[in-house]
Amino acid sequence: MSALTDIYVDNVIGHLPEKSREDIAAEIRATINDMVEDRLGEFDHPAEDQSAAAEREVLEELGDPILLSREYTNSPQHFIGPASYPLYIWSLRWVLPTIAVLSVLTNVIVHIATTPQVRLGALLGQTIGSTVTALLIAFAVITILIGLGDRGLDGGTTQQLPGPRSKAWNVDDLRRKDTKGAQIRAEAVLNLIFIVLLALIPLIPTSLVYVGHLNNGETFINPDLGAGWLLGYWGFLTLMAVIEVIKLVRSSASAGLLITGVVLDVAMAVFLTIALLTQPVLHPDLTSASSAEVQQVITVIAIWFIVIWDQISTWRAHRANR
Amino acid sequence: MNEDEEQALATHEQELRRGTVVFASLVACRRPQYGYSLLTTLTEAGIATEANTLYPLLRRLEKQGLLTAEWNTEQARPRKYYTVTTSGAEVAAALHSRWLELDSSITKLWKEGTP
Repeated sequence: MSALTDIYVDNVIGHLPEKSREDIAAEIRATINDMVEDRLGEFDHPAEDQSAAAEREVLEELGDPILLSREYTNSPQHFIGPASYPLYIWSLRWVLPTIAVLSVLTNVIVHIATTPQVRLGALLGQTIGSTVTALLIAFAVITILIGLGDRGLDGGTTQQLPGPRSKAWNVDDLRRKDTKGAQIRAEAVLNLIFIVLLALIPLIPTSLVYVGHLNNGETFINPDLGAGWLLGYWGFLTLMAVIEVIKLVRSSASAGLLITGVVLDVAMAVFLTIALLTQPVLHPDLTSASSAEVQQVITVIAIWFIVIWDQISTWRAHRANR
Repeated sequence: MNEDEEQALATHEQELRRGTVVFASLVACRRPQYGYSLLTTLTEAGIATEANTLYPLLRRLEKQGLLTAEWNTEQARPRKYYTVTTSGAEVAAALHSRWLELDSSITKLWKEGTP
C-alpha cells in the first residue's frame, strides 16, 4: 500500500462522520488491494513500477474521492429538495406579495403621517428601499426555514409536508386551481389600480415631485383646460374600469370583451392625441413656448407606443390562455 | 444511432441499471460476498457495476437491514463480508416476482407493438 492510496483514502473519509471513518477506510483499502492484486495476477513477480501503475489505474477507476465520499454520506446535495420545493414556491408566491403590499402601505402611511410636506420622490424612494429590504429578508427567512426543515425530512425525500401538500389531493383541488382565472383577476386588479392612478393625474400637484416651484404647486394639467376635455378623459377611464370590473367578476376575458377594450384604448388614444395637439393640456408654467409643441408631440408618440404595446401584450396573453 | 440518441440511451440505461444493481446485489449476497468478489460476480453475470457506486450501496443496504456485514480477519487480508438478511431475502424474492412480471409485460407490449 503506497502513500498514494493513503492520501486517496484520507480524502474519502475526510468528509465522512467520525464514527464510520475507520470502517469505510478499511473497506476501501481492502478493495484497492483486491483490485490491484487482480490486475497484477498475470505477473508472477511484479516490478515496483508495474504495481504503481496498477494502483494508479485502480484509484482512477474508483474516481474522484470527493464524489465517492458523497456516495457514502448519501446526504442531499441541495438545500431545498424536491419534497419541499412545492411548499417553498407556494410560500414565496403568497408571502412575498403579502409582505410587499404590507410594506408599501406601511411606508406610505408612516411617511405621510410623519412628513410635513409630502414629496412623491422621497415617498417613492423610502417605500421602494424599505420594501426591497423587507422582501430580501423574507426571501432569506423562507429559504432558510424550509431548507432546514428539508434536512429533517429524511434527506428531502419524505412526502408528508406541512402547508399545501399536507392534505391528500383530490378532484376538488383541480377545480379550485383556476390559474387562468386567478391570472385574469390579478391583471384586472392591477389595471384598475393603473386606471385610478391615471384618473388622479389631473389632480396631482407638482409639489409631489419636487417641481412645485415651477408653477407654485399647481397641477401638471392646465387649470384653464376646458372641463369637457377632463370629463371626456375620466369618461373613457370609467368605461375602461367597467371592463376590468367585468373581467374581475367573471374571472374570464372573452374575445368580445377584449375587442371592446381595444376599441376603447384606441378611442382614448385618439381623444388624447386631439387634446394634446389642439389644446394647451400641460400647465403653461411647465412648458416653454419654444418647446411646447415638441413636448406635446413626444407625449403623443409615448401614448401611441403604450397603446400599441398594450394591445400586443393583451392579445398574446389571450392566445396563450386559450 | 446518432450522438443525441446515444446520449439518451446512456441516460436511460443508467436509470435502468440503478435499480437493477440493488436487486442483483441482494440476489448475489445470498451467499457471503466481500466487496470485490461481489463486483466480480456481478460483472461476470453481465451486470456492469462501478466500484464507486457499489460500496456505498452495500452500506445503505446494510443500514436498511437488508444486508448484514461482518469483518473476516481469519484470512491473510481482512475483508468485510456481506450476507442477505431474512428481511433482505424477502425483499429480493418480492423484487424477483416484480421483475418477472415486468419482463412478461414488456415482452407482451413488445410483441403487440411489433408489426
